[in-house]
Amino acid sequence: MILFASTMSFLLIYTSILLVTALAGLFSERSGVLALSLEGNMTIGSLFAGIAMNLMPGSVPAPIACIVVIIAAIIGGMLYSFLHAVACITFKANQTLIGIALNILAVSIAVVGNKVLTASPALPAGNSRLKFTAFYEMFNFIVPGMETVRFNWLIFIILALLPLAWFILYKTKFGLRLRACGENPRAADSAGINVTKIRYVGVLICGALSGLGGLALILTGAEWEFASGANGFGFLALAVLIFGQWKPFLVFLGSLIFALFKTISVIYPSIDFLASLNISSYFYLMLPYIVCLIALIFISKKNKSPKDLGNPYDKGNS
Amino acid sequence: MNKIKALFIKCFDTVNNGLTKFTKKESAKTVITSLWCALLGLFIGFIIILFINPSNAFDGMAATLENFFIFSNSDTRLYYFGSTLAKTAPLIVMSLSILFGYKCGLFNIGASGQYTIAFVVILFAGLVGNLPWYLVMLLAMIAGASYAVITGLLKVFFNVSEVISGIMLNCIALYLGNGLCQSNTTVWDASHGESFKITQGSQAFLPNIGLDKLFAGNTVVGIGIIFALIAVIVIFVVLKKTTFGYEIQTIGLNPEAAKYAGINKVKAIILSTIICGALAGLSASLSAQNGFNSWQLSSTVVSAGFDGISSAFLGGLNPIAVVFSSYFITHITDGGSVITDLGFAPQVANIITASIIYLSGFSAFIKQYISDKDLMREQKLLCRGNNKKEDK
Repeated sequence: MILFASTMSFLLIYTSILLVTALAGLFSERSGVLALSLEGNMTIGSLFAGIAMNLMPGSVPAPIACIVVIIAAIIGGMLYSFLHAVACITFKANQTLIGIALNILAVSIAVVGNKVLTASPALPAGNSRLKFTAFYEMFNFIVPGMETVRFNWLIFIILALLPLAWFILYKTKFGLRLRACGENPRAADSAGINVTKIRYVGVLICGALSGLGGLALILTGAEWEFASGANGFGFLALAVLIFGQWKPFLVFLGSLIFALFKTISVIYPSIDFLASLNISSYFYLMLPYIVCLIALIFISKKNKSPKDLGNPYDKGNS
Repeated sequence: MNKIKALFIKCFDTVNNGLTKFTKKESAKTVITSLWCALLGLFIGFIIILFINPSNAFDGMAATLENFFIFSNSDTRLYYFGSTLAKTAPLIVMSLSILFGYKCGLFNIGASGQYTIAFVVILFAGLVGNLPWYLVMLLAMIAGASYAVITGLLKVFFNVSEVISGIMLNCIALYLGNGLCQSNTTVWDASHGESFKITQGSQAFLPNIGLDKLFAGNTVVGIGIIFALIAVIVIFVVLKKTTFGYEIQTIGLNPEAAKYAGINKVKAIILSTIICGALAGLSASLSAQNGFNSWQLSSTVVSAGFDGISSAFLGGLNPIAVVFSSYFITHITDGGSVITDLGFAPQVANIITASIIYLSGFSAFIKQYISDKDLMREQKLLCRGNNKKEDK
């Protein structure tokens, strides 16, 4: 029972982190902008959430405090993705390069930012940790019968985002325009759609959702080390997005599968069968990435990526 | 949006007018663009430390920029200049790895992973195997190349983007490195929680061939920097003077044209990933075999490959310029590591380098802008000339 409870708790939280971040990438990539900076957006989202938690006076009632923290994470992600949008859309920069730069920049900003704005002097100098026990309790609830573990109610918000994302992408005018910009921006432009504007909105939605992903990530525990960035979840989410062939429900399936492997890497010592194999813990940590690489081999042949993904749109030329 | 763009153009314009005569040549344009990126990066860094601690900001920035100039004794200066040079060598080679891949249209994000695998091989070959330095270096290059070729094979035969596979391979290499290093007690120093370093006196340590006398007895300066410069020359020659270099640049610039010109894309891509990997391995060798780094347990991928990306792009993707950009980046990261005494996190220097990569994304725009201005000026002159002729 304890094993089942901890499996469920890890599986749900990892699924929700991967799902919300992959959905974030979906909005950016469907509009034609590579979402390599997911990891960076998450990091900055988590930094903003951490700062909000730290600055929050104790007198604020719990529901309001939680909402403020969520909004802070979303704003953090959006502000950071704005940097991505300016470079990639307005200045037509190389999207891979900018994505990588933003990922590296985010870790340094988070470490420095956390040290300056929140860290207590008692912590060792090399680390950039933040403790938020009170908020960890606020965001979590206990399921009767599974008292040993905590569940995070952000899971419900994130699961509700899945049908919403599908609805926006496939049933609204904006969704159609967004997809058109990713497939054939020239055609979209000649139909009177402002490609630049739509791509900006796509990237900003991406920032908002991945900021939320960053918050969900740091709430996996009661403290967080900012030097580890987003622990590779942003990259994994990108893989989930490709695995899901840029379709919301397949993305959900992908995040479930990858979350399962992530979960195994955490709980394998308590599974008798896996523990008896006596394999190094690092193998289980590697497993999600190996699976992803193998999955990519089978998927990439018939790749259904948005056709204009990664190309800056130039109105004037050609 | 247009406002930001206008502001950007305006401040650029005022300074740039002074440099206009010089901007005709393509290489001059690259130099100006890179200088702009470096300056703006430093400026951003300055703003950030000004925000953190205004009273120490100038000292902090000065310490970052001065690095070894902070010492008054000229011998001490020379000694630490030597150290900075020796630390530059791995970065130069890593930038070459990124640059070479980029010329072939490959974004070698996997460089960090290739570096990691080579690093582990070096530790095992040097500490456990106790092999001489040249064999260790060779093994490192082979290890890097064989890890890199996975990316090439996946791209050529399965159409997997090298960016995604590179990211995955980086993470796999990270855990592989953590696991393998910890598994052996000759490699792993359990009391310090990191691997042993390859120290002076070990057979695997790079020889200094008398160069220490030039740098006030600093024995770290040695054959490493010479290997880095040889690598620069080799890559320069391969890119500029050989058919293979021409072929891969054609693939990078226009894959369709390369196809119709009969270039064997499969062979070229796989060969260039092998070269990229070997260079990343060499970079690990110049770093580990000089005793700079040990392997430390980490949950994030090593930054070596990403630093290579920043100096490659800051150097305008030119093998010669990369020497200077690598030196610049090492200089400020090295200088940045001392500002902890002034109450700043050493990551401030990382913010500067990361801003530089971000800004170098704008380099195409800046270059285009310089070219457009030149063109306009020429047309104006031409018009004037024609008018004069008509007047006569």
